[in-house]
Amino acid sequence: MPRILLVEDNEMNRDMLSRRLEKRGYTLSIAVDGGVGVALARSEKPDLILMDMSLPVIDGWEATKQLKADPETAKIPIIALTAHAMDSDRQKAIDAGCDDFDTKPVELTRLLGKIEELLKKFPPKA
Amino acid sequence: MKSLPFRWQLTLFIVLICGLTLALAFAGLYLYNVQQFNNEVQRRLDRTKNVLLDSLTVALAQKPNATDLPLKLLEADAQISAAAVYSAENQLLARYIRPGSNEVVPPVPSVSARLLSNDRAVVWTQIRSPKGTFLGTLFLKAELSQADVEQFSDLLRGSAIVFLASSLLAFVAAYRLQRHITRPIVELAAVSANVQNTRDYGVRVSSAASGEIGVLINSFNAMLDTIQTNTTALDLARIAAEDAKEKIHQANDQLEEANRTLEARVEERTRLLVKASRDAEEASKAKSSFLAKMSHELRTPLNAIIGYSEIMKEDAEDDGDARRAADLDKVLNAARHLLGLINDVLDISKIEAGKMELYLENFELQKVLNEVVATATPLVAKKGNTLKIECPPDIGSMHADATKLRQMLLNLMSNASKFTENGTITIRASRRPAANTDMIEVAVIDTGIGMNDEQLGRLFKAFSQADASTASKYGGTGLGLAISKQFAQMMKGDITVASTPNVGSTFTIRLPADVDVKQPSVVGTSEQRLTKSPFPTEGSKPRVLIIDDDENVLTLLSKLLQKSGYLTTTAETGEKGLKFALEEKPDIVILDVMLPGIDGWTVLTKLQGHRETAEIPVIVLTAGHEVDMALSLGAGSVLRKPVDASRLTAEIAMQLNPTASGYVLIIEDDHDARDIVIRMLERENYKFRAATNGNAALRILKKSRPGIILLDLKMPGMNGFEFLEILGQHPEWGKIPIVVVSSMDITAEMRDYLKTRVVAILQKSKFNRDDLNALIRPVLQT
Repeated sequence: MPRILLVEDNEMNRDMLSRRLEKRGYTLSIAVDGGVGVALARSEKPDLILMDMSLPVIDGWEATKQLKADPETAKIPIIALTAHAMDSDRQKAIDAGCDDFDTKPVELTRLLGKIEELLKKFPPKA
Repeated sequence: MKSLPFRWQLTLFIVLICGLTLALAFAGLYLYNVQQFNNEVQRRLDRTKNVLLDSLTVALAQKPNATDLPLKLLEADAQISAAAVYSAENQLLARYIRPGSNEVVPPVPSVSARLLSNDRAVVWTQIRSPKGTFLGTLFLKAELSQADVEQFSDLLRGSAIVFLASSLLAFVAAYRLQRHITRPIVELAAVSANVQNTRDYGVRVSSAASGEIGVLINSFNAMLDTIQTNTTALDLARIAAEDAKEKIHQANDQLEEANRTLEARVEERTRLLVKASRDAEEASKAKSSFLAKMSHELRTPLNAIIGYSEIMKEDAEDDGDARRAADLDKVLNAARHLLGLINDVLDISKIEAGKMELYLENFELQKVLNEVVATATPLVAKKGNTLKIECPPDIGSMHADATKLRQMLLNLMSNASKFTENGTITIRASRRPAANTDMIEVAVIDTGIGMNDEQLGRLFKAFSQADASTASKYGGTGLGLAISKQFAQMMKGDITVASTPNVGSTFTIRLPADVDVKQPSVVGTSEQRLTKSPFPTEGSKPRVLIIDDDENVLTLLSKLLQKSGYLTTTAETGEKGLKFALEEKPDIVILDVMLPGIDGWTVLTKLQGHRETAEIPVIVLTAGHEVDMALSLGAGSVLRKPVDASRLTAEIAMQLNPTASGYVLIIEDDHDARDIVIRMLERENYKFRAATNGNAALRILKKSRPGIILLDLKMPGMNGFEFLEILGQHPEWGKIPIVVVSSMDITAEMRDYLKTRVVAILQKSKFNRDDLNALIRPVLQT
């Protein structure tokens, strides 16, 4: 089963998204800030990362940059989760190296579509 | 003589005349007396001679050469001092010498000597016999007797006494009489000397006199009168002049003070305006960040509501609890609706704040349409509608903001679904080739209730739905269409609508296939549309200083202006601009307000504040809406960025040669009201300039004469009435027709006042383009 790292500081968002994704068969790891997110990504090497952008310690853009700069984690697809209509945030996310983005509140069907598309593009090893 | 007083001169003169006259009289008298006396002596001498001759003739006839001649007889005659008788041979025969006298008897002179002698006191006579025989010669010499001498002395003495007495009398009389003549003259002299010394023109000669002196005195007094009057007037004038001078000094001081204050105030105002502008920007930023924050704050709990409702709904469905699933579905719908409303409000706020951004990307249109259809299908199906999609397979990709296109389409489809029941909703996409970029059209066609014209008119306006009752029946904020239209326009496209009541509506989104929102910095550059310089010959080309930090603008404008017949200088900073303006004294300055370092406002203020550059017209370029600020800081005119080269060159030509063609001067403080009039004028292709109050208008008037003035009455600073007053004081402006455009209630009194000064009074918002045109056209076309 594909393993997804969810980096999200908001407890409810984290809880909802993880529960709904788990229900659809994904294995979830949770990070509550950018620092933990980067560490977990390095240690666990998930198949995909869902990265909130406004995060404590280090924010989503910085975390993405670090992960994309590290050859160990550069290949892990990252979906940025940005606030609605914050186009500049979105542009910044793409510039930081995110592979796709989606807006919050998450529309699950759409997000699932994006997850599946990226997993197809970057198939999990083994 | 000259040093003698006049009265003494006159006295002396009279006495002299008198003396001279008397002397002449006495001399005449004396000579007469002497003559008489001499005649008497002669007569007596003759008588004596005749008597003596008688006796001598007898004696000598008897005895020639007798010596006893009776000369002793002569002693009786006191007059005879000497006598002698000579013989015919001139021998002295007898002689007589008066005793006591020292006379001598001369020899007989020759006949010629005797004839020539005119000594009347001497007689030489020949003694002849009655027969005429020469007997001898008689000599007689007379002299004044004692009595004669006394008589003469008496005469002289008497004469001297009379002379002296007469002279004294003359002197006294003259002395007494001269006063009558000299007193007025002396007084005249004294008064004139006094006047000369003291410059007191108040004194008068009081003496009366007749004749020329009287005339002289009267004239002199009259002259003094005139001088006094003139001097008084002169003094008054001098006092007035001094007063005026003093006042001028004071005024100068005040002016300098005012200048200083004004400079300080202008600086202060500029600072405030700049601050206000920055504050507004800050406020706008604060609003934006508040909105962003609010959006987050509102959405977070809403997200939780939606998310957990979905989870619970899924759980209920899994549990087969259909009722709970349906309830949760209602919660979800309500929450989603709320989210939509919040998003709409946030969107419109962002658009209005100018903070809405585009995220342009390449995407397949077909794919986006499919996504939208997938999302909208449940919505469309709700009221029994059928959804049709007509999209040519080769529609291809486009470069635009996909999210916004999605939002626009969803909004149109949601509207179509709302107002259509058991009908068909069609999405029809097409690509239309065009010059620069293909246009993509996506139409959403429904068979719903449709709209009449009045409803269509209000359709795209924010916060207004087609019908007030619609909101309650169909819900929604009414913002969706306004937002969609804005989105389309941001992408250089548009949304249009065609509708027939009870037949249906067609909303068409039209977008460039390749959206390019990068604004060209200069537009309207085609050479035919550029206005040529009014002074295009070499040597007289006006110099234009362009101050803009955008290199492209500088290069492009330089090129265009050179083509139009100008010399150009460019400056990419405010500092350089100010330096060049002072060094080169350009004929006109084009100034961008957004500059690094010293900003355009400061540059404008400094140009206006410097004596040597204050008269140079400045055309301000701004991307914002700071028209009022620019005009109040003294800009000649304001043009929006992107720069329209055709308008810019027209404006430059007008600023440099304002009399070449008439223009309309709009004096109006209210931005919106001014905008309405400007749009009317633009449509009729009139040239115009705008001022925010009377002061600003006067600044424009001093530089150029408008063909007609549109004047608001109520304005800050100098209001319309004050402006009219000042205009009335300048005859050169008196003939400019003025149309009052005011929202004021014009009282009968005001109307009377205005009647003589303006050609028409228009009530704001109660006149149309034709009314205005009817007033302007005749003036500007002559």
